[in-house]
This record gives sequence, structure tokens and C-alpha cells, in this order.
Amino acid sequence: MKFGFKQTASMLALVTAAFGAAAQAELKVAIDPTYEPFTFKTADGKPTGFDVDIANALCEKMKRKCVFVEQVWDSMIPGLQAKKYDVIISSMSITEDRVKVVDFSDKYYNTPSKVVLKKDVKYTGPASIKGKKIGVLKGSTQEKYAMGELKPAGVNVVPYEAQDQVYLDIKSGRLDGTVADILEVGGGFLSKPEGKDYAEMGEPLFIPKYFGSGVGVAMRKGQKELKASVNDAIKAIRADGTYKKLNDKYFKIDVYGK
Amino acid sequence: MSGYYLSILQGAGLTITVSLASLLVSIALGLLGATAKLSGRRPIVVLATTYTTLIRGVPDLVVMLLVFYGGTIGLNALMERLGSETTVDINPFFAGVLTIGFIYGAYMTETFRGAILSIPPGQMEAAWAFGMGRTQTFFRITLPQMVRYALPGFTNNWLVLIKTTALVSLIGLQEMTYLAKQASSATRSPFAFFLFTAALFLVYTSISLWALRRLSRRYSLGTRQVVH
Repeated sequence: MKFGFKQTASMLALVTAAFGAAAQAELKVAIDPTYEPFTFKTADGKPTGFDVDIANALCEKMKRKCVFVEQVWDSMIPGLQAKKYDVIISSMSITEDRVKVVDFSDKYYNTPSKVVLKKDVKYTGPASIKGKKIGVLKGSTQEKYAMGELKPAGVNVVPYEAQDQVYLDIKSGRLDGTVADILEVGGGFLSKPEGKDYAEMGEPLFIPKYFGSGVGVAMRKGQKELKASVNDAIKAIRADGTYKKLNDKYFKIDVYGK
Repeated sequence: MSGYYLSILQGAGLTITVSLASLLVSIALGLLGATAKLSGRRPIVVLATTYTTLIRGVPDLVVMLLVFYGGTIGLNALMERLGSETTVDINPFFAGVLTIGFIYGAYMTETFRGAILSIPPGQMEAAWAFGMGRTQTFFRITLPQMVRYALPGFTNNWLVLIKTTALVSLIGLQEMTYLAKQASSATRSPFAFFLFTAALFLVYTSISLWALRRLSRRYSLGTRQVVH
């Protein structure tokens, strides 16, 4: 009797399908626990953070069991495509480039950016700070915004390699301010002594053209059912107050955004 | 805080296991490759040369991603085409060991080849004249002398291999560098953990150097000491 590769493969499929049925309730979730307070590990090695709590809440609604898989950021999407896990819930922003290779659920958070200037500056829009020097992180969404909106209004926009360097140059007086994510600028600058004379100005910036449309759950392309059930779960935790509870556990502001 | 140090120490265990296992693979491949290159048979020489040229010319990181993710994606695509719903999961430990072993096998091939060539061919001929077979000649004449010539290059390869193990976090193994990164991000104090990890690496490489130096002295008995 000939026993070809095809038969072997389908036999294997049968065997593993039997195992699969038992473990069907699992949802393998990839995280890169190096992004406090969204995903990080406690000293005893447990994954924790806003992303992790959101994931658990979503799993509860979907009646599946979250199993966390730790993955380095650089190989996050390859790992998803290699089916090492089913979804990525690790503060992954929905961007044009990523949408080409993976599918995203609706956003589960979207923190806005804001213009940050010295408290005595009267900010009424880009034109009101004409001639001022604003530092931004190179390659960031904030740089896109600054180049698209501030520069045409006559603001001097200077890109930096790291956001820390922007803060250093504000401190040394070489810059008048920055545009940054409110959580980043809040924790990294405004709450520190060198930021005490500075404040967020104007409206929170959400413009999708520059800032994308928030952070979502990433999954392999073409999984309509999974996508629908994740979206339903997001709606459900938004509606029943679970989301607000988790939000308030980590942040003073509402991170869901507009 | 101390919990994080403990987890990094556990990661060090993985680093040691992965590096030693990959070393074995690379030695086996290196001996095979060196013999193939020196065999004088054209197809085998071409094959071995392709191996060393390709692997030594492509960054380790790229090889690792290609083998692990490329391999898994390819296998899964194949299974799907065959009508199977299952997903293949390559064990990251074996994948890491095999990939690193495969990469450093190429470097070992060159080190061993050079070492074998340093032995005067007259010695092998003399062994054959005494009636020793090929295998006997290899183990009694070539290998003991080759070790002496190969050790300096081997030591270099080994040190670089140890440091390469930091790459296995890419394929999902939690070795100490990745654990240090996690700890530093959770506590926002990077220097403490990275310095600790650097010290662990240094301890590991220093012990290796000491052991290899002793080995080198043993194999250099009866020859003029090379100055270290």
C-alpha cells in the first residue's frame, strides 16, 4: 500500500484536530512586555498593564481563554503570520503600512497629541506661534502633523532623534515647545521639575490623516468571524463599564479618545 | 526589584544551554564542512563553499528570521494547500539552536579547514604508509594537531556565538537580554539591569576563556609555547 505525503498530512490533521477541539477556547495573544504602563511584567514575571487587562476583558466577553505569548516587537507581525499566536494586543497603532499586511479590529484606545508651550504663551492655533521653534520626534505622527500644519503657518519645526532630546533642548532654551502624545509628555516632561512652567495648549489633536486611527487588535488577514467577535467584545466592555474601570486603574484621563 | 534580577539569572541559564547546544551543532557542521572542502570532489566542494559563502555573507539576524518565520509560514502554507487546518509550530529552542549552530558551522568550517591545512601533509602520508586507514589517520594524526591550530579561531567563534544568543529572543525565547529589557521598562531604570546582564555575559565569557586557555596549553604540549 502506498502511503503518500498527502495521506500522512491528512492523518496528522485528524489527530491534531482532535486536540484542537479541546483547546478551541484558547486565544493566543501576543504582547511585548516592554511598554509600561500598557504592557509590562511584574517582578514575579506576570504580564500586566492596560493592554493585558483589556485583552483579558475581551477574552471574557468572547468566552475564550487568553494565553499570553511574549514576543519581541521587531518580529511581532512575522510571528502573527507564522501562526504563533492569533492576535496582537500590544499597543499596536493602526497605520497605513500595517493595514497592508494585517487586519485590525476597531480601536480600543487612542490618545491624542497636544502642542506644549510655556504657560505664558497665548496659543490660538498654528498661526499664533509663527516664528517659534518647535521640536518633534523624527518619524513620528507628531512630526507629520507639525510638517503638515505648523510649518506652513511659519513655525520653525525641528526634528529630533529622541523625544528626550527635545525636552533637553526645551530646558536649555533652544526650543519653545513640542508636539507630543499627552501620556508621553505628561509622564516624561510636564510632571517633572523642568516642565513646571509649561502646559498643553489648544485642542487635543486626533486628525487621522496625521495621527492614524488609534490602537487596535491585530490579526491575520481575512478572519471575518474573529474580527467581528473582537469588535463586539470591545463594544461590550465599553458599554458595561469594564473599560472605564480599567481606564481609571491606569490613567487620569480617558484614553479611548474620539 | 530582586524578582527581576532572579528572572534575569534564569534567563542566563537559557543563554548557557542555547550556546552550548549550538556549539555542538556548529562543531559537527564545521568538521563536516572542512572535510567536504578538503575532499577534492567537485560537487561536494561546491556545496560546502556555497554554504560558507552564503551564511558568512548574510547577517545572523536575517538568517534567523528567514529560517524560523520563513520556515513556519512556508510549512503552514503547504499544510493549508494540502487541506489541513492545523498549524505547524516549530519549537523555538530547537529552531534557535539549529539556526545558530548552522550559522557558526560555517565559521567553524573555515577555522577547521585552516587548521587541517596547517598540518604538514607528509604526516598524513606517513600514517598511510604505516597502514592506517582514513578514519584512523584522522583521529590519531589530524585531529590532535588540528585542535592546537584551531583553538585561537575557535575561541573567537565561541565568544561571538555566546553574544549571538541574545538574538534568540526574536523567535520567542526569553534569554537574559530580553528579560533585562522587560525589567528595565517595567521599573524605568535601565542601567541597573543592563549592567547586571553585561556582567553575567562577562563572567560567562571569562570562564570560557580560562577553560579554553587550559585546553590550548594541554594540546600545545611538546611544542614551543605560543605567547598569549
